[in-house]
Amino acid sequence: MPNAISLSRSSTGTPTQRRFEPTQYARIAIVLALAAFALTTPGFLTEASLRSLLSAMSFVGCVAVGMTFITISGNIMSFSLGASLAASTIVFVATLPLGTWTSFTITLLFGAALNALQGWVIGYLRANPIIVSMAAFSLIIGIMSVITDGNGLYIMGTEAVIFKRNMGPVPGPLIAFLACAVVGQLILSFTNIGRTIMLSGSNPSALLAAGVEPWRSTTWAYSFAGMFTSVAAVLIASRYGSGDLLHGAGFEYSAISAVLVGGTMIQGGHGSVVRTVLGMLIIAILQAILVLRGFSTQYQHLTLGVVVLIVIVLQWKRSR
Amino acid sequence: MAAEEQNPQQPSGPLLSVKGLSKRFGGVQALRNVSLALRPGEIRAICGENGAGKSTLVKVLTGIVTPDTGTLHLSGVECRFNGPRQAQASGINLVSQELSVCPDLSVLDNIWLGTIGVPFFHRRQHLREQAAQTLQSLGAGNIGLDTPVAQLSTGERQIVEIVRMLARDTRVLILDEPTATLSDQEIGRVLTALRAVKASGKSLLYITHRMSEVFDLCDTATIMRNGEVVADRNIADLDRNSLIELMLGRPLEEMYPSRHANTSVSVALSLRGLRIPKVAGPIDLEVPAGQIVCLTGQVGSGAEAVVRAVCGLVDNATGHVLVDNSPMPLARPEKAFKAGVRFVSGDRAGEGIFVSQPVAGNLVATRLQRRSRMGLLNRMALRAEASQLAESATIDPKRLNSTASELSGGNQQKIAFGRNIADPDTRVIVMIEPTRGIDVGARAEIYKLMRTLCQQGYGILVASTDFSEVLGLGDVIITMYRGAIVGRYTADQATMPRIVADITHPEA
Repeated sequence: MPNAISLSRSSTGTPTQRRFEPTQYARIAIVLALAAFALTTPGFLTEASLRSLLSAMSFVGCVAVGMTFITISGNIMSFSLGASLAASTIVFVATLPLGTWTSFTITLLFGAALNALQGWVIGYLRANPIIVSMAAFSLIIGIMSVITDGNGLYIMGTEAVIFKRNMGPVPGPLIAFLACAVVGQLILSFTNIGRTIMLSGSNPSALLAAGVEPWRSTTWAYSFAGMFTSVAAVLIASRYGSGDLLHGAGFEYSAISAVLVGGTMIQGGHGSVVRTVLGMLIIAILQAILVLRGFSTQYQHLTLGVVVLIVIVLQWKRSR
Repeated sequence: MAAEEQNPQQPSGPLLSVKGLSKRFGGVQALRNVSLALRPGEIRAICGENGAGKSTLVKVLTGIVTPDTGTLHLSGVECRFNGPRQAQASGINLVSQELSVCPDLSVLDNIWLGTIGVPFFHRRQHLREQAAQTLQSLGAGNIGLDTPVAQLSTGERQIVEIVRMLARDTRVLILDEPTATLSDQEIGRVLTALRAVKASGKSLLYITHRMSEVFDLCDTATIMRNGEVVADRNIADLDRNSLIELMLGRPLEEMYPSRHANTSVSVALSLRGLRIPKVAGPIDLEVPAGQIVCLTGQVGSGAEAVVRAVCGLVDNATGHVLVDNSPMPLARPEKAFKAGVRFVSGDRAGEGIFVSQPVAGNLVATRLQRRSRMGLLNRMALRAEASQLAESATIDPKRLNSTASELSGGNQQKIAFGRNIADPDTRVIVMIEPTRGIDVGARAEIYKLMRTLCQQGYGILVASTDFSEVLGLGDVIITMYRGAIVGRYTADQATMPRIVADITHPEA
């Protein structure tokens, strides 16, 4: 998607006078170091390891594509996407008897509606996005626990088999993730709504003064986020054969990490889905290296924290 | 360095002397061999268009930026500043455009805020007396030391900031557009205070876009262009036109485009009994198609609020607004837009443009809906439209891909204008302070643009606190005081004294 990249790159100057800044050197150095580190890690370049790396990345990746919309729209992040994913797995499993694609569609619409509601509260009532998403997290988990009585639902039939399938050596979830990324980037670059989401993240007051009320684009941004999160929900429910409120816990943190590591600015109005995919890839490779080298989960958290911190420092330097 | 002239040296010698300053930022030579001298008790204007290097010079003098080459002498002693605190210790202080007072603290607290050598608890009698004395000496004795700054007018806050700098034992006071956000009456107060500063033997460097202040206040002028000093003159040897020519490097045709006989009788916009609780109203006025109507008053007179209400940006406005004789609902920006109202704000970063977006994206921001089918953008058409609009608004088409924040204030304002050109649905363009903080050259271009839009049949309503702009531009001039209309004048009826009288003390 060269077009999309050149669009998001235009902020670094006109193509004729583009020059590398120290932060760009830093970024290239990080990528090279990561590549060297990966290639020297025994077992990294095996099919089994690459496949598990790419599948694991894809679930969070779909959520990260959704999160990108929220960040670009100027609303920082949502704390409820993990909860939204969990609720969607239950909706998916519960509606599976209606047919594979009917259930798929219902799940996507459910996710979109669940988050659109939050977007409307944030955009129209001008509520704080962090507070709203935290409240939504508790509400979703609370309501779904009451409905399901705390029990997971299990897939009995074979309707969801298609979502577990791989295409030759390529893991199925990876294909779904890349499809989400392509659709997401197309929405952002080629639709009226996508462009308006970008503008409202850049300067909501200017959008209002120009006669466009930003609550609409905010609502849309959240519904896209919910929709892509529900794609992850379908993949996860199919893979594990269950709809469960425990699915997707903490996904929003990994997702926002991918968004930031990719270079999308936290203050909104800038960034792309392509960047998020790259960010996701970097994080996934780093985690795979740590696993293969025998580090425990605690170290993975620690490393992710350090990486995000580095990115924030780089962003801060660039914005000055 | 084309025409640098040496000032006649006073026997005392210069207080501040700068020689051969150069500074490069990446590919941009911000300062090139800049020299100037400042005598005790002298007020020197630094003039130049945006990007001429004025602010870099200020940053070097106040220790924020280290120059690549060049020297700086204070009373004959060479100085090198590593940071603003050292500049302050040497007696160079800056009053900037953006006020840096703390509104919730008292005047006294604000005066001593950040001053080296003043203890954290500064309620000592001599500090109090010193502050009161300084206020008195500037003719601002009516400002109470214990008043919270939030209760002062913007002009009074600016004076508090000047007092703060004087209380710091300043020798050289630098003022960077201190009057940019003030109304004319408040400017008068600040200028009076500055004359008192001069009388006390201190020197001032004065940076402003307002020509009249250069001639009212300053003794000498250093004129800069593209990072160089192009002239160093006594104010007595300059007039308005020669100063503008020196700044631009070329003669300037008339600042304001000529008005043209207007035969239109149709009314583009009319307000009937518009009220904004506690701010303005009832307001009745009409904007004929093809004319520029200027609303003017001091800051807080309600002129700005009326314009915002027309754009749907005031939630509690009531009354009737008619565009092309059809009523428009209030408090809904979308409805105002649909009715054909287009808003150009002087607060560019705040609500005028999208600074983090490319120029092209800014220009077509309001046309996405029209240029898309089933939600999909026609990017080719948008691109073509953006370059066409850039051309009409005299923006360099090479800059279409630049981020808007990289452009000068004048070019940013052209973007805000450009959005509304050649829009078949536009009926009225409303503006607030259309040339706030914009240099002379860009101002003239924007005035020309406004006149061109007028000729295309739009009505234009402007709220401005800049009298010379209002007088030079308006076909109809309406004065406001405390939320009510005082007088209405056609261009040939309006005079500066009448307008000033109207907006300051309409009873008299």
